[in-house]
Amino acid sequence: MNSRKIAVKASQYTMLIVALMLFAGPLVWMLSTMLKTKAETYKVPPTVLPDTFSLEAFERLFAVQPMMWQWIQNSFIISFFVAAGAVVSSSLVAYGFSRFATKYRNILFPVVLVTLMIPPSIMMIPSYVLFSKLNWIDTWLPLIVPAWLGGAYYIFLFRQFFMTIPQELDEATYLDGGNRWTVYARVIMPLSKPIIMTTIIFAFVNSWLDFLGPFLYIKNPEMFTLSVGLQLLIGQTSQDLPALAAGAFISIVPIGLLYLFAQRYIVEGVVLTGTKG
Amino acid sequence: MNRLRKYDTLLFFLFILPWIIGFITFFLFPFGTSVFYAFTDARLPGATNFNFVGIDNFTHMMDDPIFLKSLMNTMFFVVFGVPIVTAGMLGLAMLLNFNVKGIALFRTFFYLPTLVPIVATVIIWRLVFNSEFGILNAGLGALGIGKVDWIGGEHTIKPIIIMLQVWISGSGVLIFLAALKNVPRHLYEAAAIDGASGIRRFFQITLPMISPSILFVIIIQTMYNFQMFTEALLLSKGGPNYSAYTFVYNIYKSAFTDLKFSMAMTQSIFLFAVISLVTLILMKVSNRFVYYEGER
Repeated sequence: MNSRKIAVKASQYTMLIVALMLFAGPLVWMLSTMLKTKAETYKVPPTVLPDTFSLEAFERLFAVQPMMWQWIQNSFIISFFVAAGAVVSSSLVAYGFSRFATKYRNILFPVVLVTLMIPPSIMMIPSYVLFSKLNWIDTWLPLIVPAWLGGAYYIFLFRQFFMTIPQELDEATYLDGGNRWTVYARVIMPLSKPIIMTTIIFAFVNSWLDFLGPFLYIKNPEMFTLSVGLQLLIGQTSQDLPALAAGAFISIVPIGLLYLFAQRYIVEGVVLTGTKG
Repeated sequence: MNRLRKYDTLLFFLFILPWIIGFITFFLFPFGTSVFYAFTDARLPGATNFNFVGIDNFTHMMDDPIFLKSLMNTMFFVVFGVPIVTAGMLGLAMLLNFNVKGIALFRTFFYLPTLVPIVATVIIWRLVFNSEFGILNAGLGALGIGKVDWIGGEHTIKPIIIMLQVWISGSGVLIFLAALKNVPRHLYEAAAIDGASGIRRFFQITLPMISPSILFVIIIQTMYNFQMFTEALLLSKGGPNYSAYTFVYNIYKSAFTDLKFSMAMTQSIFLFAVISLVTLILMKVSNRFVYYEGER
């Protein structure tokens, strides 16, 4: 390695590290604040790292807001059912759109794609009207049921994947006496594990990150998701900085862990659909 | 054969039935509702006592000064936010495309903020930008710069929201990173032999080769900024003095606090029209700049 190359590498590392400090800085500040005592956060000028590490913030957090556990549980349950619904419904629909040679397919599939382009925020209030007419306000149904009725992103993901599975496998199955359902359940789905994983993780993450849905449709604190609960907490404990930081930390941990173990699937989902939700 | 085909078509509809039900219930119906109510004077979401007022709502939409302010704010985010955030994403992607040891670890860390729930993001930013106890003002103080009320400042709140978007821009970065990896190496090698500088290589090879991804990201960012709401709501409730009050925030307020439900629907349709128009223009204009490989 000559000296020019070393200089290039050194400058590349410098740029990366400076950028990383800017990006990781806020997260580190959150961790630092979370581990301080309440008194220490009022010091001027602020200390970068806590003088004494303490976990009191978590005790205060759960004391001020005993429903925290409930909200964490709610978020898990909702995200679980959303992920399950996304896999089941979208794979069935995508199977229809990838394996049936009917003229209706060529009319309806573009409609699926068009719905991807419609801005979700213009559906915000009309959907509220629908859910209130159905008496679904203050239940989890507005969050879960749509996931069981074929989300356009996931239909698209599954269909793209199904198109890469050779049709010869279908024909071989028909020769063995199989039907449409056998092909779906015994041939296509077992071959689609990677895209199933991507969908499960992606749908789970998106449901966990969703704020506007639960914020609009759920008013009863017992039914809150963690995100909406945290928002309530900002109002209750706006002076208790360590407790707020602890709350933020708790909402990050599940997705952070999932990301560390399943990074590949999340990255794949983003690159394939161009969004995180 | 004919009967078999009919049976197969029936099976097709059976398989896509979940989507059909979802499309009608959660798409066509709400969409139809909003168009319908836009021509009425309904005051509450889903009201049953209302009169038809023709296009009155559309003609009176601009009368509200706060509506105009929200429109200007949203235009600010679209005009300044979209280019800044897109450039930020591209810059980060180029950093993360460096061929150095440990780059995978860097990529992991840069994506992390994107996975932070928005409420937690807002909590974190309030901690950082806190005018009394925040780390940012402390750092600036050490440099001799006085306290700045970032989130409470009329001129600082919009730039902060744009910065926040850069912080959570991991998805766009990933898209650019994938595009950068697809640029054939031999193009760079040929340019290097011809003695082209790094800047020239960027403008004449990198940019044209990844232009489809740039268009894609710009369209997504434009749609996102037209609909910006949650950040403004959580960070500063649209304040101070309506300086972060966005278009969708105004729709939300019209429907739920102003009791002008029909006006909210009118504004939704207006937004839909604007977004469609801008996307269409972007697509048309981009034809001249976007290079698709394999195209003549």
